[in-house]
Amino acid sequence: MTQTTSSTASTGVSEIDTSSRCALSFLIVASLLWLVTGGVLALLNLVQTHSPGFLADCFLFTHGRLDAMQETALVYGWAGNAGIAVALWLLSRLGGSALRGTNYLVGGTLFWNIGVMIGVCGIAFGDMTSFSLMQMPDYVQPLMLVAYALMAAPGVLAWTGRRNDSTFATQWYAVAALFLFPWFFSAAQVMLLFVPVRGTLQSVISTWYAQNLFSLWMAPLAIAALYYLVPKIRGKVMPNYDFAIYGFWSLIVFGTWMGGRHLIGGPVPAWIPSVALGAGVLVLFHHMIVYLNMSGIGGSGGVVMKFAKYGFYAYLLSGVIDALFSLRSFAVITQFTLFQDAQWQLAFASFSLIIFGALYYLVPRISGAAWPSSGLVRGHYLATLLGYSVLIISLGFAGWQQGTALNDSTISFEAIAAQYRPWLLVASAAQALLLVGNLALLVNFIRILFVRTSEASASQFRQPRNLEASSS
Amino acid sequence: MKNGPLFILGLFFALALSWAGLALGTHAQLGDLQPYYDDLEGKAFPQRAPGIASRGQLVYQDLGCMSCHTQQVRRPSYGADEARGWGSRQSVARDYVHQNRPLLGQNRLGPDLANFGKRAEAAGTTKIDLLVDLYNGSQGMPAYRFLFEEREIVGQTSGNALHGVAPDGYELVPTEHAETLVAYLLSLKQIYEYPEARPYAPDVNQEGAR
Amino acid sequence: MSSQDSHDPRLEQAAATDDSIISAHEKAAEGRPDVDGNYRLMPLVLLFVFSGMIFFGGTYLHRYTGYFSPEIFDERQHAGGPVIAAPKMDPVVLGMKQYNLACVTCHMPTGQGLPSVYPPLVDSEWVTGSEERLIAIVLHGLKGPITVKGNVYSVAAMPAFGQVAGGGYNWSDEKIAAVLTYIRQEWGNTAGPIETATVTAIREKEVGRAEWTEAELLKLP
Repeated sequence: MTQTTSSTASTGVSEIDTSSRCALSFLIVASLLWLVTGGVLALLNLVQTHSPGFLADCFLFTHGRLDAMQETALVYGWAGNAGIAVALWLLSRLGGSALRGTNYLVGGTLFWNIGVMIGVCGIAFGDMTSFSLMQMPDYVQPLMLVAYALMAAPGVLAWTGRRNDSTFATQWYAVAALFLFPWFFSAAQVMLLFVPVRGTLQSVISTWYAQNLFSLWMAPLAIAALYYLVPKIRGKVMPNYDFAIYGFWSLIVFGTWMGGRHLIGGPVPAWIPSVALGAGVLVLFHHMIVYLNMSGIGGSGGVVMKFAKYGFYAYLLSGVIDALFSLRSFAVITQFTLFQDAQWQLAFASFSLIIFGALYYLVPRISGAAWPSSGLVRGHYLATLLGYSVLIISLGFAGWQQGTALNDSTISFEAIAAQYRPWLLVASAAQALLLVGNLALLVNFIRILFVRTSEASASQFRQPRNLEASSS
Repeated sequence: MKNGPLFILGLFFALALSWAGLALGTHAQLGDLQPYYDDLEGKAFPQRAPGIASRGQLVYQDLGCMSCHTQQVRRPSYGADEARGWGSRQSVARDYVHQNRPLLGQNRLGPDLANFGKRAEAAGTTKIDLLVDLYNGSQGMPAYRFLFEEREIVGQTSGNALHGVAPDGYELVPTEHAETLVAYLLSLKQIYEYPEARPYAPDVNQEGAR
Repeated sequence: MSSQDSHDPRLEQAAATDDSIISAHEKAAEGRPDVDGNYRLMPLVLLFVFSGMIFFGGTYLHRYTGYFSPEIFDERQHAGGPVIAAPKMDPVVLGMKQYNLACVTCHMPTGQGLPSVYPPLVDSEWVTGSEERLIAIVLHGLKGPITVKGNVYSVAAMPAFGQVAGGGYNWSDEKIAAVLTYIRQEWGNTAGPIETATVTAIREKEVGRAEWTEAELLKLP
């Protein structure tokens, strides 16, 4: 079903895509390079957890620094770049016009990645801030903010200059993420680094920032991609869409209060973790609504739909687990253990899987050609799915075991370490598998950059039809 | 949702609400928390650590020790913190007022260190013992050899030298990082029982004398 | 329904145009008019669930936040609930500490004092006798000669230790009671302890007092 003549609608679309090809490709290649780098650092870090002597003599890779480095590389390098790329593509597509200000975008991307590089190196030399998910040294943080503004500007412009007056759920989520990030980032920078607040208030703000990074930045970007991909590929209107607006606002309003769940039993007033639990339960309303909307995600599908599906299930599970384990009776076991790492990996996996799906969809469109190798695509998919499942489950079990042992004062730390060592060996293998999969994606992407677009390749893209406004 | 500016305002307001509640609210409550003056002892607690310990805190921070160690004790009936000897009361906000950057930590791959100085004092652990442990590492903790240096003995041997490693004519001494770090660890105490840290009534009634 | 017979992993096909996605969903969001009085169950279910969540959140916050008090770090504690009082320090221990801080210089660690200069405390009638006189001496100080166990001591004066005008030590009533309790049971003395309240009463009664003389002291009960 190929067409040699294109209607005005598809000309517009392909123009939007090709005009942003250079800028978005830059973002994506940067994100994939950081994904692989971060994957290597994360693997080394996990190996050190079960074999402390590994790389112990190298001051650059001492465990504490390596932990901060892998976190920074994956969150600011991979998630930062890829999230923005997906958001900008979605907003330009739905806004109906090409990305404007791509020069700023390219400049911003350059400075953002220079910043992350300086940040990671700075951590290796000992300048880390000690705040979780905000470990980059003081001197590089303002640069990140400026670079971000340059990158996000085209996205907001794509939304304000949109052709249709009405907006779609994707746009709400994407604009929310792009708009809110600089506010909570700068607030955290000021109150933690430049005019620090006193004592344990720093931990309140640090957890507020870390929670916002997921709830107001990574999650909305992933959900934005889902809201676009599902009707786009399935060709059906999403059911119960009239409630999508409530799902959106419940995430934005309640999600930011959940940071206190990391401070249960800590030196902060007890109301902070309690409020976090209340918010954690209320934010499940958002998960419910998105679940109702995403009924088309199940069933057979290509790689994009499969990534989106498993990422979505991971997202739902992550929300339930975060709320459940904010209850103090569960937290007494899982707090301060590897279970928390499993929780973070689950949340991060949900973001990554959905973004992988979005990348597999959008890259052919901006490049004008299909992915060169189906083997690499399938390999990446299997490696990622298997890798994340095994990683999260093994860390979860290790953490639970560790937690129950920690609460028994007769068990020494050596015994606890011996207990969770096998789980960590399995987790390291899973992390290595993830790295292999991500390398496959990187290789595939670099190959697609060199594919020359031609008329023949353009005809691969089938003409989509118009969606009927069916009743929910 | 068609109204663009209203949407942006709504987003901003939602974030501002949580910021006001958590950041400003706690700042209003605890922002100018003062040390607690004890009339009988004639001192204000928490007591300031010596300057060398503050420099040690920077070393602790830059090595990333909080990736494996916490510095917050949970209340006795919550987990086994007291049973493991990590502290007889919950850590409260006042314990950290003098610290530039409280390093509370989020993982317990190693023991909690909030009262490490107190435990070391009770066990008679000296600075040299800690330096030896740092150099050797243990089953769970890596060896921090890069915090030490081997140098030629000129004149007298250093009082801080660790024995049994360096060849003849050389001595193994801790670098400034190691010395300040050890001083910091030995200063970690949360000894005073503030009014807000006193145990909750049921803990006292049920368990009798506490 | 898109007729995608095989899902080529290298290229996912679109089934709907962007414009139609936006417009179709916008229409869906407008909702359906209530034709034939039909209503949808979903809004009611969602409302019910959300209300349930709010109810849970509300009761949880009511119980476990201590009314947002910054002093409550234990979530089980109720705001305004019972407060555990500080454990009382043993007055003899505290008294010994205070004695060693200030009193030893003159009265000596043995309590014997210095002959002709500082009176002894061991077996002294002033120490083991009237509470009021003893408290008065320590609170406001002593000036002039004093006869202890038959010997006259007239060389030195005793400074004021209490929270009185002109006093340099400003010891709290509790400290004074403690140190007096200590000396009354040490070195063979067997007099009873002194309460903080007694010290407070005497201090409040004798406001603005200078040092006592022996004659004035003897007028006290």
